[in-house]
Amino acid sequence: MSGLTATDLRVELGRGFAAVDGVSLRVEAGCWLAVIGPNGAGKSTLLKALAGLLPYQGTVTLDPAPAGRTRRDLARVLAYVAQQPTLPPDVPVREYVLLGRTPYLGYLGNPGRRDREIADGAMARLELDGLAGRRLGTLSGGERQRVTLARALAQQPRVLLLDEPTSALDLGHQQQVLELVDRLRLDDGLTVISTLHDLTAAAQYAERLLLLDRGRVAAAGTPAEVLTAARVREVYHAVVSVNPDSDGRPALTPVRPRDDGSHADALSTLRDDGPRENT
Amino acid sequence: MRLTRSTRCTAALAAIPLLALGLAACSSSSAQSTGATSSSGAAANSGGSRFPVTVTAADGKVTLSQAPSRIVSLSPTSTEDLYAIGAGKQVVAVDKDSDYPSGVPKTSLDGITPNAEAILKYSPDLVIAYADSNGLVADLKKVGVPVLIEPSATTLDDAYAQIEQLGAATGHATTAAGTVTSMKSQIATAVKQAGAKHSDLSYYWELDPTFYSATSSTFIGQIAGLFGLKNIADKVDKAADGGYPQLSSEYIAQSSPSIVFLADTVCCSANAASVTARPGWSGITAVKVDDVVGLNDDVASRWGPRLPELVDEIAAAVEKAPAQ
Amino acid sequence: MSRAIRALTVAAVFLIAAALLGALVGAADLNPWGVLATLLDRIPFVHLATGMSQLDQNILIQIRLPRVVLALLVGALLSVAGAGYQGVFRNALVDSGMLGSSAGAGLAATIAIVFLGGLGTAAVPIAAFLGALAGVSVSWFASGGGRQAVGDGGGTSTLLLSGVAVGMFLTAAQTYLMQRNSQDLQQVYSWMLGSMAAASWTQVTEALPYAAVSILVLLVHGRRLDVLALGDDEAHSLGLNARRTRLVVIAAASLAAATAVAVSGLIGFVGIVVPHVARRLGGPSYALVLPLSLLIGGAFLSLADTVARTALSPAELPIGVVTAAVGAPVFIAILRRTQPVRE
Repeated sequence: MSGLTATDLRVELGRGFAAVDGVSLRVEAGCWLAVIGPNGAGKSTLLKALAGLLPYQGTVTLDPAPAGRTRRDLARVLAYVAQQPTLPPDVPVREYVLLGRTPYLGYLGNPGRRDREIADGAMARLELDGLAGRRLGTLSGGERQRVTLARALAQQPRVLLLDEPTSALDLGHQQQVLELVDRLRLDDGLTVISTLHDLTAAAQYAERLLLLDRGRVAAAGTPAEVLTAARVREVYHAVVSVNPDSDGRPALTPVRPRDDGSHADALSTLRDDGPRENT
Repeated sequence: MRLTRSTRCTAALAAIPLLALGLAACSSSSAQSTGATSSSGAAANSGGSRFPVTVTAADGKVTLSQAPSRIVSLSPTSTEDLYAIGAGKQVVAVDKDSDYPSGVPKTSLDGITPNAEAILKYSPDLVIAYADSNGLVADLKKVGVPVLIEPSATTLDDAYAQIEQLGAATGHATTAAGTVTSMKSQIATAVKQAGAKHSDLSYYWELDPTFYSATSSTFIGQIAGLFGLKNIADKVDKAADGGYPQLSSEYIAQSSPSIVFLADTVCCSANAASVTARPGWSGITAVKVDDVVGLNDDVASRWGPRLPELVDEIAAAVEKAPAQ
Repeated sequence: MSRAIRALTVAAVFLIAAALLGALVGAADLNPWGVLATLLDRIPFVHLATGMSQLDQNILIQIRLPRVVLALLVGALLSVAGAGYQGVFRNALVDSGMLGSSAGAGLAATIAIVFLGGLGTAAVPIAAFLGALAGVSVSWFASGGGRQAVGDGGGTSTLLLSGVAVGMFLTAAQTYLMQRNSQDLQQVYSWMLGSMAAASWTQVTEALPYAAVSILVLLVHGRRLDVLALGDDEAHSLGLNARRTRLVVIAAASLAAATAVAVSGLIGFVGIVVPHVARRLGGPSYALVLPLSLLIGGAFLSLADTVARTALSPAELPIGVVTAAVGAPVFIAILRRTQPVRE
C-alpha cells in the first residue's frame, strides 16, 4: 500500500506555457482519487507528471518510497495506463500482458515461470482467460481496456494511474471496467488515481475528487463537496442539477435551457471562451 | 578527290612489286582492323617523308599539308611512339596519363573523356587519340584540326604499323622504320633464346585483383603466344567476354598455372608476396617455384616502343619455369 | 512457445543445408564425396580417407570454406542489424544502411581506393568500417542525439530524416570523387556491388570479435525492442530508458553492419527482407525475430553467394545483384502466402 503526495507541481509544455501550475494533492493508501476538469484543464498532463513521464517542478513522493531511485524501481511500484495505449495489432494478448513484467526481468530479459504465472493471474482477474492467444488487433473496445489493465496489474504495482480508462467504452463496458478496478483496489489495497470525464461515474467510484481548471486546482475533497451545481456551472459552463444517489454520492443530470432563455447566459460564456485544447 | 603526288606514288608502287624496306619512300602495311596505311612523297629525304601526306588512321584518311609542330597526344602509347621516333620536339601537350618518357609535357587533358575546348587551348595542328569519344573528331574537324585515332593494337603488326604511321605523319618516317626494325629484332632475339615451344607451360595473366584475365587471342595473349605458352583463361572465354573473361580463385588454383603475370602491380599493389598470401594459392605451381612476375602496369598495357621490355620479362619468366 | 522452437529449428536446418551446398559447389570441380569426407575428417577423433588431392583439399579449405563461412557471417550480421533498426524505428522499411552508414562506408572506401590505393587491399575494409560508423555518428548528432520529442516517436523520425540527409551528402561527395578519378571507377563499383571473392580465414577471424559483440548485444535487447514498440511513454512507465535503449541498439546494429560492409562491400536487400521473413515465420516479437533473422540471413546470403560464384563460372556475379534478383521474387511470394504484418 502506498500513499502519494504531490506538492506545488508545475509542468511547462514549452514556451513558458504551464499546463499544470501550483497543484498539490494527497492520496491516502488504498484510496481512489479522480482528477476531473474540462478539456484542456491539464488532467492528462498532471497524471503523466505524477508517473514521472514529464519533467516538472515541485515534488512527488510515494509513501513508502520505492526501493531505489531508478525508473525500474518506480515501475515496480507505479503503473501507468495511457489514454490511448499503443496496442501492436499482431501481438497476442498473453505476450502483451507479459510485457508488464519488464521491471522485474533481469538483463537478459527473459520472463521466467513465475512471471508467466503472475501474468496469467492478472488475465484471470480481468476475465481474459479465453483471450490469451488472441491478437490485440482482433479485440473489442472493452476487451482492449481490460488487457491494458491486466498489463498494468502484471507490474504488481501499489499505485495505479489511469488516464481516461473508459472514454471509448459504452455504458455497460464502462461499468464493468470501473467495477473491476474498484475490486482490484479493494482486494490489493491499490491506490488509484484516474482521470475521468464522466462526472457521475467519478463521483460514484472515487473517494476523493480533484477538480482542475486551466492547470490549477479549482476544488478538492469528497464528491459531494466538489460537485455542486454552482461549481459545475463556473468551471464547465454547463447547467446541471445535482441529486444525491442512494449512497449519498452526487449524481449529475444535465438540464436543458428553458424556453424563457434563463440559462442562455451560462451557455453564452462557453462560446466566448472559445475552444480549448484537449490535454 | 584530287590527284596528289601520293596517288601517283601508289600507282607507281603497283607497277613495282618489290617493297624496298630500306627506302622509306612509300611504305604500306597489310590491311588490319586499324586500317593503318600511309603513303607519302616519292623520294626519300632526311626526315623520311614529304609533305603534304595522307595517312589512313582508324578515323579514315587524314591529310597533313605540312609537318606538324604543335602535336597534342591524348594516348600514352602514342606519346611513347612519338618520342621514340624523334618527334618529341613537335609535341606541345600530352594527356594526364602519358608519363613516359620522363619530362613529357603532361597536362590535365583527359584522354578517356576528351574536352575539345581544352585541347584547342594548346593551338594544336595535330591531335592523336586512341578513341573518338565525346565526338572529338567531329568537333576538331569544325576548326580544321586533324585527328589521328590510333586505337589499341590487336596484333604486333598493328603496333608496328602505328609507329610507322606516326613517323609518316610527323616527318620522321626513316626514324620510325628504324624503331620498328630494332623492336622486331629485339623481340626475335628474346624468343629465340627462350624457345618458342613451351606448350607444357601454362600461364595466368592477371589484369586486376578481381581476377579479370586476358586470353591468348588478345594482344597481350599473342605476345605471350610467341613462346608457345598455354593460357588458362582460354577454356572459359565466352564470346561476350571479348577475350577478357573473369576467373575465380578456385578456378585459378585448380588450373595451377606454371607462370603468373601480374599486370596490376601499380594500380592495385599486387606483387609476388601478396599473391602468395592469397588463400589457397600456396599450392599453385607458379607460387611454389616462385615464378610470379610483377609487370609494370603501363608496360603491360601499352603497345608502344617498350614492347621489347615486356617480351624480355616474359622470356625471363619462361626460362625460370621448370619443364613439366 | 512451440511456434518459436519450430521456427528456430526450421531456420537452423535451412542454415546448415545452405552451408553444405556452398561447400559442395564451386568453380573448381571438387568431388562431392571427397568434400564431405574432408569436412568430416576435420572433426576431432574422426579419420576418413578423403581421396582428394592436396591441391583440391587446399582449394576447399583455403578458398571455398572461408567464403561460405564469411557469407554466413555477413548475412547474419546484415539481417540482425536490419531487424534491430526496424525495432528501434518501429518501421518495417528501414535497414541498417539508412542512418548514413552505407553512404559513409561508400565514401570512405572510395577515398581509400582513390588516394590510398598504394596501401593495397588492406586499406579499403578498414576505411569502410570507420566510414560506416562515422556516417551513423554524424546522423545521430545532427539530429540532436536521438532526443525524443515531447510525446512519442518524434525523436525517431528526426533521426531518420537526418540520416537521409547525411547519406545524400556523403553520396554526393563520393560521386564527385568518382567523377574526378574515373580510372578507379571499376574498382569502386565492384566494391560497391559487394563481393566475397577475397574471403580468407584471416578475414573471418578479424571480423569475428566485432560480429560476436554486436550480435550478442542485439540479441539481448530483443525484449526491450518489444517494450519500445508500445511507445516511449509506456516504455518509460515500465522502467525502460527508451533513449538509451535506442542508442545501444543503433550502435550495436551499426557496428554489425559496418563489419559486414568492411568485409564484403555494400550488399543491399538482405537487411530489409530477412527480418520480414522472420516475422512471418515466428511472429512479431523481436525476442524471436532477432535470432531468427540471424539464422535465416546467414543461410540466405550463403545461398546467394553460391549462386553468385557458380552461375557464370568462373566469372562472378556481384552478390548485390543476386540478393536483389533472387530475394525480390521470393519476398513477394512470401508476402502473398502468409498473414499480413502490420507494424
